[in-house]
Amino acid sequence: MTPRNSSAGRHPNSTGPTFSRHIPRFIWLLLVLAVLLVVYRCVWIDRKIRRDFDALQWELPARIYSRPVELYAGVHISPDDLVDYLQRLGYRRTAKVDRSGEYKVNGNHIALRTRGFQFWDGAEAEVYVELTFDGHHVSQVQDGKGTDLPLLRLEPVEIEQINPATGEDRMPVTLVDIPPTLIAAVVAIEDQRFYTHHGIDPIGIGRALWADIRAGGIVQGGSTLTQQLIKNLYLDKEQTLRRKIEEAVMALSLELHFSKDDILTAYFNEIFLGQDGNRAIHGFALASQYYFARPLNELRLDEMALLAGIGRGATYYNPLRYPERAVERRNVVLTRMHELGEITDKDYETAHKARLQVREKVVNRNGYPAFMQLVYDNLKREYNKDALRTKGLNIFTTLDVTMQSKMEERLDGAVARVEKSGHKNNPLEAAVVITDANTGEVRALAGGRKRGYSGFNRALHAVRPVGSLVKPAVYLTALETKNFTLASVLADQEIELKQPNGEVWRPQNYEREADGDVYFYDALQRSLNLATLDLGLKIGVDKVKATLTRLGYTGDAQPYPSLLLGAVDMSPLEVAQIYQTLASSGFRSPLRAVEAVTTADGQPLAFYSIETKQVADPAAVWLLEYALRGVFERGTAKSVTPLLRNHMPLAGKTGTTNDMRDSWFAGYGNDLVGVVWLGHDDNQETGLTGAAGALQVWANLMQAFDIEPRQVPAPESIKYDQVPVTPNHNTSQRDCSSTQSLPFLADAMPDVSISCEVNDSFFGRVIDRFKGVVK
Amino acid sequence: MTARWLGVVALMVLTGCVANSPVVRAPAPVSAPVIHPPPPVVLVPKVEPAPSLPPPVAEPSPEPPLPEKPVLPATPASTLLVSVQAAVAAGKLDQGAALSERALRISPRDAQLWYQLALIRNRQNRLDDAAGAARRALSLAARDMGLLQQINDLLQELAAKAAAKLAK
Repeated sequence: MTPRNSSAGRHPNSTGPTFSRHIPRFIWLLLVLAVLLVVYRCVWIDRKIRRDFDALQWELPARIYSRPVELYAGVHISPDDLVDYLQRLGYRRTAKVDRSGEYKVNGNHIALRTRGFQFWDGAEAEVYVELTFDGHHVSQVQDGKGTDLPLLRLEPVEIEQINPATGEDRMPVTLVDIPPTLIAAVVAIEDQRFYTHHGIDPIGIGRALWADIRAGGIVQGGSTLTQQLIKNLYLDKEQTLRRKIEEAVMALSLELHFSKDDILTAYFNEIFLGQDGNRAIHGFALASQYYFARPLNELRLDEMALLAGIGRGATYYNPLRYPERAVERRNVVLTRMHELGEITDKDYETAHKARLQVREKVVNRNGYPAFMQLVYDNLKREYNKDALRTKGLNIFTTLDVTMQSKMEERLDGAVARVEKSGHKNNPLEAAVVITDANTGEVRALAGGRKRGYSGFNRALHAVRPVGSLVKPAVYLTALETKNFTLASVLADQEIELKQPNGEVWRPQNYEREADGDVYFYDALQRSLNLATLDLGLKIGVDKVKATLTRLGYTGDAQPYPSLLLGAVDMSPLEVAQIYQTLASSGFRSPLRAVEAVTTADGQPLAFYSIETKQVADPAAVWLLEYALRGVFERGTAKSVTPLLRNHMPLAGKTGTTNDMRDSWFAGYGNDLVGVVWLGHDDNQETGLTGAAGALQVWANLMQAFDIEPRQVPAPESIKYDQVPVTPNHNTSQRDCSSTQSLPFLADAMPDVSISCEVNDSFFGRVIDRFKGVVK
Repeated sequence: MTARWLGVVALMVLTGCVANSPVVRAPAPVSAPVIHPPPPVVLVPKVEPAPSLPPPVAEPSPEPPLPEKPVLPATPASTLLVSVQAAVAAGKLDQGAALSERALRISPRDAQLWYQLALIRNRQNRLDDAAGAARRALSLAARDMGLLQQINDLLQELAAKAAAKLAK
């Protein structure tokens, strides 16, 4: 039997040496486990770095561009407008044009070197060009050797971005697009041994540590460019030891698997260099545009040094807000470059003394909310929000930035001038749509009277009765039947109409007087309600509604007689569509705000092409236009002809609704269609007719746009005939002593009872003259 | 071996002890940068999906060549017309149409340009668009009898195609 305490007695003696023997083993085990964990973590990080960096792709915002300026002999643009456009593009005014993005003004000559641009229909090459102006037109376009250039196109202005949810914005570039001087500046100031270390730089760390110790605080960084890139890509602001170690491992891994060029390219595209509202400026290419409004290859040495320097503290050294700090930092970079022999003494001196020149013109980014709503409407059928926010699409729009700017400068003042006093708490509002008269492209748009107004977009969504703007559809319908001519005599007399609800409607002219017999064309140019009803009821309200639909109306108004006088609701955009069809001689082209979409690398993705469809007889439209020109010459728009005397003839129509709640004008020249609406959001009375309100604003804007006169040659089928000046239903009282010449369709000449040509015998003329004397 | 590992660890610790940057540092951007996976979707617009230009549509009879316009190198329209014809000859119909439209923005009442656009739309089998452009050309051709004849021929061809399409 083994004594119970024998083993117990032995145990203390045996435990001592066993325990001491196991401690090192235990520690070794822990160490091995720790090493295994570290190795596992390192391998994991290494794999992650390789996978992620291989697939590195940034979310890129969609960039929205304006309509580009085309330059050719004869183009309508003033020197001031061209300079304004060049400044929007960030061109620099110089005494001598040496590089792209520079221009020189000398009297009526402007010389410039374009940058070239990848458009949806091909590349536009960089070119030096000398322009000669004759007033508001370019009279000559030549290269530097005196050879005429037929045509060139400037770059479009970037008007807006659709940013990723991250708020990051950048313009990715390849290494060949980065000027070597900028690379040298960044390497000099951030990481001198970049090309020799393997991701982390012990010498740099030691130098920084020593500097920190001497200063008693953190004064110098020891991070390599690789480490900074890692930090930007992966890590947050956490300053823990573990983060630093992981950062070092990642940097080593990155250097192991990727070239210095790869790392440098990623760094130049990734680094944070500023904040613009809710947009974070990443990468040197975008920073160059943001601070200097020019691409990297146009920057001077001092500007490159500045960009290289602000990476250390983009907010602290922001050159737009703290120019002195930025210049001080720039000079540190220049000094370092000079010490390293990267720049010559002369270059150093010049750059050191250079005055800071940040962008001259504030980019009106996000400044076109009303127009952008139309762009979104056009795009949303084809692109979802994610594609617009992340794929770096280039979206080319129809916006004319110069025209939009002129409109916004004038609109508020022009509305204020016609606004009746007594509406202080309920200001008059406005909407404007300007389109190309031939293609249906929207050139400018205002959703309210104030510049950059981003609230309720009245141009697209204020659906209001259009009043007399509807009348051209009535008269066009009549002309197309060929039963009516411009010389048809209409009865402008009081009428009573029983409505579907049993009430009797007694329409009146605006002047509350009936004119009796009036000519067709005169009834339209003076906007006579009763004569229009006489005509409309003869041809049928349903036919008029069908014409409206052909021209571009999309609603479903009931074909009641009141439709003939404008009891039909439309938005200003819809009205613009109808008048664009008239301005295109009866060819409807859907209004649009987008030309084309390309991928981030410039490949065409979608064309929003010009569509055109004949919806009315061009000759009938031409006759209608004769009367609409009369609106300015003799009718309701006569008051603005002195202001627009250099632009006449023009065609258009006033519109006023019941109790003057809406004041409209729609008109066109050869190049533009414009629609102006004035009214109150709560539908209160404005106290303004179309002529007293919207027409005045329209004329003000069109003068600023330098609208081209409306001069469309008569179609072959148009013939002229003489008719009496005074209309008369009664044939026996026809007075040919005083006649006027009017145009007619060859197969719809005036009735024998009206024409003075058919009675053009000697006897007939004597009788007519006698009638005139007696009268 | 142990010494080597300790060296690596020490280097990392040393690296971690040194700040990435000195006192002045930019605040973080609004959103932290991220690494993104490869693009998951190929963007395909519904209307005109092809970045690559589609070949001419197969026709029952060979297409007549686009007529040459007299060379007028001094005008923007004639310059662009040369490019239009080059693009069409290369089978780049989308680009040819885009260039035609650029020319039309400059010379919107040029019947020849509308006719060129109509020819391209016909080749793309966009019959309605072709007819619209052809009719617009017709309304602007005035007394150019040769062009009028060409346009009328095209309109007849389009009408025949439309009828055939309807019959199917």
